[in-house]
Amino acid sequence: MSRFTLRDSILATLLAALVLSAMPWLMSDFALALTLTCLMYAGLAVSWAMFCGATNYLSLATAAFFGMGAYVTAWGAETLAYGLAVLLGGLAAAVFAALVGAAVLHLRGAYFAVITFGLGELVRHGITYYEKAYAGTVGRVISDPPETVTIYHTVLLLTALAVVTALAVRASRLGLALRGIGSDEERARTLGVDTRRAKVLAFSLSAFFPGALGAAMAMRWTYIDPLSVFNPFIGFQTVLIAMVGGAHTILGPIASSVLFSLLTEYLRLQFPYLFLVILGLLLILLVLYLPGGLASLLDRWRWGKSRA
Amino acid sequence: MREPLLSAQGVSVRFGGLVAVDEVDLAVHAGELVGVIGPNGAGKTTFFHALSGILVPTSGRIVVVGDDLTGKSAHAFARHGIARTFQTPRVFKEMPAIDNIRFGLEFAGRTRKHAHDAFDEPEAILEFLGLADVAAVPAGGLTPSKQRLLEIGMALGARPRVLLLDEVAAGLTHTEVELTAQLIRRVRDELGLAVIWIEHAVRVLMDYVERVAVLHQGRKIADGDPRAVAKDAGVIEAYLGDEGEPAVEPTRKAA
Amino acid sequence: MAFWFELVATGLITGGIYALVALGLNLQYGLMRIMNISHGEFLMLGAYLTWLGHTVLQVNPILFLPVVALALFALGVVVYWLCFRRIIRTAPAVEVIEARSLLVGFGLLFLVQNAAYLAWGADLRGYSFLTEAVDVGGARFQVNRLVVFAFAVGASLLLLAVLRWTLIGKAVRAMMQSPTGAQLVGIDTRFLHPVVFGLGLAMAGVAGALLSMVYEISPGMGEPYTVTALIVIVLGGLGSALGSLLGGFLLGLVETFGMHYTSPSLKMLLSYAVLIGVLLARPKGLFAR
Repeated sequence: MSRFTLRDSILATLLAALVLSAMPWLMSDFALALTLTCLMYAGLAVSWAMFCGATNYLSLATAAFFGMGAYVTAWGAETLAYGLAVLLGGLAAAVFAALVGAAVLHLRGAYFAVITFGLGELVRHGITYYEKAYAGTVGRVISDPPETVTIYHTVLLLTALAVVTALAVRASRLGLALRGIGSDEERARTLGVDTRRAKVLAFSLSAFFPGALGAAMAMRWTYIDPLSVFNPFIGFQTVLIAMVGGAHTILGPIASSVLFSLLTEYLRLQFPYLFLVILGLLLILLVLYLPGGLASLLDRWRWGKSRA
Repeated sequence: MREPLLSAQGVSVRFGGLVAVDEVDLAVHAGELVGVIGPNGAGKTTFFHALSGILVPTSGRIVVVGDDLTGKSAHAFARHGIARTFQTPRVFKEMPAIDNIRFGLEFAGRTRKHAHDAFDEPEAILEFLGLADVAAVPAGGLTPSKQRLLEIGMALGARPRVLLLDEVAAGLTHTEVELTAQLIRRVRDELGLAVIWIEHAVRVLMDYVERVAVLHQGRKIADGDPRAVAKDAGVIEAYLGDEGEPAVEPTRKAA
Repeated sequence: MAFWFELVATGLITGGIYALVALGLNLQYGLMRIMNISHGEFLMLGAYLTWLGHTVLQVNPILFLPVVALALFALGVVVYWLCFRRIIRTAPAVEVIEARSLLVGFGLLFLVQNAAYLAWGADLRGYSFLTEAVDVGGARFQVNRLVVFAFAVGASLLLLAVLRWTLIGKAVRAMMQSPTGAQLVGIDTRFLHPVVFGLGLAMAGVAGALLSMVYEISPGMGEPYTVTALIVIVLGGLGSALGSLLGGFLLGLVETFGMHYTSPSLKMLLSYAVLIGVLLARPKGLFAR
């Protein structure tokens, strides 16, 4: 994986983003919508893997970050400029993640998974209650949303930023610290890493993108309610995509988000139940026989080539 | 007298009712190679956990180069120049060997310089340990004895002032033990470190250290020249009582 | 007084089911580190089996309980062999087992739930069973609720007794405390793992069968119970059977009282608040020693 330097990888990302930015004028509306979904999930999965892939933490908080961003948009749509709403959505999620992280990042494994899931649900039910009791609404309509092209470019920009950030983190001391934490946290401490600080920092950084993406996607959906934007499925699907792709890599989650979005879009509409049965089966087979994710296929292929 | 690099003052560690380490004092200075021996369950490893900040002592103080670090997290100890190895090697298994070494250089040792710049590059440390050919191999794939060496390298990467070695000779062949001991002496000499070396198999250690402390049931019962300590009645009794063999004498053959 | 009694009783009835569902999941987690997120789907299968037994074969649901338990036990053994055995054998660390089994659990969730949609459709199904009301201590209850409570608590206590006093129970507890130690004294995980996994699903199936006596059922009914079970086992402590029993009752009471004194829409808010409060204050669970 280290055959490309950091600069090469960033250049490649920016080049890909540049090509993709022309799509609104080249694609049909349907294809563009599909690309948008791909980009969104790629952004979510790459940010998830940025923290969880390296540290072996299992966070189910993506839905919480996404929903918070969406509600920043929903509540601020009339007063905030579009770009500002997206930025604030990301910042809100990052601040939330820092606070939560400081409190719960000492927990590991299943405990951490359950508590991050619980936190998302807590925020969702809290907002539901607040909206019903004080605002008298169930959901909110976003009036006067920006054009689809603008939203597409925002999501593309955010996803590209997430990839570049992930690349930079991986090459940095923070990335090394996170890998050490994932391997043996106490050992990392005895070698001088302030593990708590590193984890809170990275967790917070990885929350910015889902928050900002949530804020942008809320504009696209134009009607949001707590169940749709805090949908636990967003969190689950992100974890699935990242792990199926290979959570310790960056290219893996991107590839698998494309695969997932295509499968979902094409099959779900035609065979809703059968599709999910097949998806379930596929998932089980992948975990059992390709536990390193799609990325390990690439590794194997390279390994084979280098030995030949 | 010079200020000690590391000094433990009246350190006790209690787990519930059990006293694992009992009021131990120990001070080490730059350039010293001190052995810590004791029968099984004497509290050696627990004492090391306290010295490296993994455990907070129940009472007592731990002072590193004049700074009281009692109650601080392990990373603060590491940044003050305390580096250690573990009884069972704890390398970062998934990382290439060279990144294991780089780890200490990037964090604990970032703000310090070695006395000798020969140890300021991960490649140089690997070379010194004879591990240059496995630099790119994930550490988990190395043999146990190479993992032990790599752990010493990880500690050296931290640019330590004090090196804590927890049974680095355990499970090694006789030749490997000799090599490791020479290696430890070399780093001590070249870098001017203080080294504290715990060993359960006492004989090797007695041949190489200039000073030895004996722990028994959590208390320090002797501290001084190895030959004098080996003749100490209390020490012999502690070993006889607990192990049934007087393994303390420096020149005995390996058991 | 009667009113209080009714409220407490309602809480305990709900809690009994929670405890039963959580026990099975917790046993699997405690022994094998399998976080089976599809636990509720097997509860749903138990409910549908009972419904089929009642409507097609005209069998009394209570008499059908052992059949459901056995069927799900067998299914559990098969699922373990097909899905989890390989993970436990090949994973390099427990964290990896947790992560991979969670993913496989998601796979099973999609598979089983949607297969149920294909087979039975999305409509709510149900039958009426022992719906007459009786007077207990001045409060009125439907008989079926009392039956559900009795069997839920009975099955939970039976499992606790099995764990405490039988050889296999002792083996399970030994495995939970020290896997390597237990293997050294000759406990065979190749036998124990599938059996315990099967037992966990049998408990879920029985819980589903009991629920079908009281509520209408649908293929999506299991998911909320999985979530509740997760909350319960965190409350009671991962791997602690007694903790799950107490945690189940506690959550049932908290929900019932909370709903009464605040509003039904706060039910979930309350459960999650309790969960997070407990996790922050006592990460090892309320009843951990």
